[in-house]
Amino acid sequence: MIADKKYIKRSKSFDRFFEYFFMAMAMLSASFIVIIVLFVFTKGISPFMKNYEYGQVNLFEFLTGNVYRQDMQIYGVGFIIINTLISSFLSLLISFPISVLTALFITKIAPKQLSGIMQSVIELLASVPSIVYGVFGSGVITVFVMKLSNLFGVTTFGGSSLLSVVLLLSIMIFPTLTSMSITAIKAVDIDLEKASLALGATKMQTNFNIVLKAAKSGIFAGAILGLGRAFGEATAVAMVAGNKLFGPTFNPFDITRTLTSTMLAGLKETTGLDYDIRFSIGLVLIVVIFTSNALLNYAKKKVGNMS
Amino acid sequence: MDTCFNIKDLDLYYGDKQALKKISMDIYKNKVTAFIGPSGCGKSTFLRCLNRMNDLIEGCRIDGTIMNEGHDIYSKNQDIVDLRTRVGMVFQKPNPFPMSIYDNIAYGPRCQGLKDKKKLDEIVITSLKQVALYDEVASRLHESAMGLSGGQQQRLCIARCIAMSPDVILMDEPTSALDPISTSKIEDLIMELKKDYTIIIVTHNMQQAARISDYTAFFLLGEVIEMTDTDTMFSNPKDKRTENYITGRFG
Amino acid sequence: MKRKYKDILLKDMTYIASFIGTFILFLIVMYLVIKGAGLIKIHLLTSNYNAETENAAVIEDYVYHDMTDHDGNYSKKWGIAFEDVTTSHKEEVISVSYIDENSPFNHLYSTVAGKNNQSVSIEEGSIVKNMYYLDDSGNKTFLSETMMKDAANLASILDEKATGIISINYQSMGGGIKGSLIVTMYLIVISLLISLPIGVSAAIYLHEYAKKSRLNSLIRQGIDTLTGVPSIIYGLMGVTVLFPITKLVGAKSTSVLLGALTMAVILLPTIISSTTEALIVVPQGLRDASLSLGATKSQTIFKVVLPSAINGILTGVLLSIGRVIGESAALVYTTSTVINDAPTILSQGTSLSLMIWSIMSSEQPNYELASAISLIILMVVFMINGVVKLVSKRFVKSFE
Repeated sequence: MIADKKYIKRSKSFDRFFEYFFMAMAMLSASFIVIIVLFVFTKGISPFMKNYEYGQVNLFEFLTGNVYRQDMQIYGVGFIIINTLISSFLSLLISFPISVLTALFITKIAPKQLSGIMQSVIELLASVPSIVYGVFGSGVITVFVMKLSNLFGVTTFGGSSLLSVVLLLSIMIFPTLTSMSITAIKAVDIDLEKASLALGATKMQTNFNIVLKAAKSGIFAGAILGLGRAFGEATAVAMVAGNKLFGPTFNPFDITRTLTSTMLAGLKETTGLDYDIRFSIGLVLIVVIFTSNALLNYAKKKVGNMS
Repeated sequence: MDTCFNIKDLDLYYGDKQALKKISMDIYKNKVTAFIGPSGCGKSTFLRCLNRMNDLIEGCRIDGTIMNEGHDIYSKNQDIVDLRTRVGMVFQKPNPFPMSIYDNIAYGPRCQGLKDKKKLDEIVITSLKQVALYDEVASRLHESAMGLSGGQQQRLCIARCIAMSPDVILMDEPTSALDPISTSKIEDLIMELKKDYTIIIVTHNMQQAARISDYTAFFLLGEVIEMTDTDTMFSNPKDKRTENYITGRFG
Repeated sequence: MKRKYKDILLKDMTYIASFIGTFILFLIVMYLVIKGAGLIKIHLLTSNYNAETENAAVIEDYVYHDMTDHDGNYSKKWGIAFEDVTTSHKEEVISVSYIDENSPFNHLYSTVAGKNNQSVSIEEGSIVKNMYYLDDSGNKTFLSETMMKDAANLASILDEKATGIISINYQSMGGGIKGSLIVTMYLIVISLLISLPIGVSAAIYLHEYAKKSRLNSLIRQGIDTLTGVPSIIYGLMGVTVLFPITKLVGAKSTSVLLGALTMAVILLPTIISSTTEALIVVPQGLRDASLSLGATKSQTIFKVVLPSAINGILTGVLLSIGRVIGESAALVYTTSTVINDAPTILSQGTSLSLMIWSIMSSEQPNYELASAISLIILMVVFMINGVVKLVSKRFVKSFE
């Protein structure tokens, strides 16, 4: 062969170089998760250490306290954790049935063209950035909540309220839940449906009793993903939450405060306790997301096993 | 007669599963050797051992020796790239690169560092002429190869292989995806090419083996049952299983 | 019979559920259009956010010229036209709608202390505050905002009463998003420059090289987990881990660069997964063919695999652009919330999304401007969505 020996030698060392380079880049990408957890952890627990320069914060009071006042240096996030759980689960409760029905509509019920349009609607909703949802939330949802509260004879703080957060979050997790449900439903074996239809079940009975049951675990996975998004949603939620100083908030028309809205509130300092405590809250957020994921995944396995 | 490959006691495992068992054979230079046998018998796997394409598959382990030019191709100091420039391969499904006809054929030489436009032109034209494709595509050398018909694509793949001027061409069921006319063109081409190259062909089609090959090996369940010159194989097989296969009792 | 009614009920429920989703999308778009569409003009994109006041006098060697005619409330004598506008801060003002090249208002020098009499000219869109002119008896006369009344009146005063222009006090338009557009561009370009090579390489490793091993499954898991990390946490990471890196190149505080580096990390999972999906679609036969021709593995990847996967990588790039444009939480920590009209890579500044956040968290949120920016973001994101759909459809087809 007319081979250029030097070129071949060079391309072989190139080959070796790139194998290591690609590997290094993969390792770098993966290492960010370790870096994130490590740094948020060390910085997040620093205020609870004995020799913390701005005065040690009591970890127990931090985790169980139900007052959060930066101005008075009182940092209790217990109620904030509860608020976050309440708003996220409530939004899941609202969004879940609508998403599953929509997914069923798109995959099994709608005529082909309508199904395509609905699919696009879901994709567009999924691509709307959270800040835009935030503008919509504070321009439309809060106004709606305000009007609603007037009906009940309750006053709100300009519509910022637990209910607004819940409604906004249900809208925001809707596309995630729906598209995951669509994937799960599409994965169901078509023969299963045929068998059900052959046994004289109607199309709807088959859809609800057979298809949804078979797609259960995938739909559940979507719910877990949606919940994670609800926990971590920051700017949009902060725009309608109202940041209450104490809690927890159970009244839907009362203002509330979530972990993320607290992290974004009054962000002016770049040093000091007020700054560091955000990392502690971030750490709490990570823990909340990881534990709920773990618990729900465990539950998913249980649900998956019985049928 | 000169041999091209001497294979001795070759075993191949995918994980725990043994796919090839104690295979030994000699393959002669400038002859066409055909591997026949039912699907899953290991003939393609064995073919891919000859240019070490099995190295790509995870969990694949090989024992035994394959000598080529007096050198074990599975020894540590064997350079795989160098081996593959000498042992070319044509695949079951025509697989032209999504680039122009010219670039497809120039691909191999370019990978070896050949940049001289004149030499490349020469290689492209002679390779295309050798596979009798030049007249059909002369006017559209710089158009995408994806626009060719299946048969043309396969001849292009053979030309691409020839452009490397290898010693051996391995063909893995090269006509199984083609229509009868394209198939016969490729068979003619193989007869033509054996003057210059050693050709080893895996085929599903016994008539094809009978028509074009000088030697035939019959594979069954990862073993070579019988290997002789093609005439003997088809007129007077020694083993009962070979006979059953070529008379069409199973397959 | 009962079964039939139940069937219809269930079917209707799915229709209603789908309607809710569609209705909400409609509501969002309608709200933004009603509130914000009126503001979307070219000068929104090209002008500063912060209005700047300028006090300027006509230069002494200005030579009087004849002006060409123009529409609107035009003072032909002085070559300037005015219009009544409402600012994004909801004030009724008179702004300059046209200015002739030879107009004295085009030949001014600044009298603001510290500007060293530097020459300036009124730009179209500037708001006229007050001015001094010479009346027919040669007296210097003051014209206040209330005396101007409206655009038509101002033009006629100038035409009928003024015999010379002395000085003018005006304010640049303000309320624009130029600075944020620039920051957004910076963020997109820098974050992609970093994230694309890393992400594509990682995907290549995982799909083309990685064998089954503990280490590789750990790498996969790590990257998968990144997808679920909320962006606000990325912000915390950026400000601690990446800040020292930006400090090395001269950043003194949070900066556009820090935001871009943080975004680069956020984009990694997106780029890795869309590249991987593209690599999966590339037929194995192409790799085999290339290797059997004596190409090395890296030659195969660069010459055959990547060119075949280019559409998938393009999809990743487009999705990444959408993500950068829409990102807010992570950037609040890393690029600051200060709206900067002349941002540099090392200065603070807001992207479009961040600008919305900044506007909305001020004392009196400007819903119109926030909606206008949201509308711009939404248009870009929707467009990206459409292109991605088109590209991936064609991509899958090309290998069928």
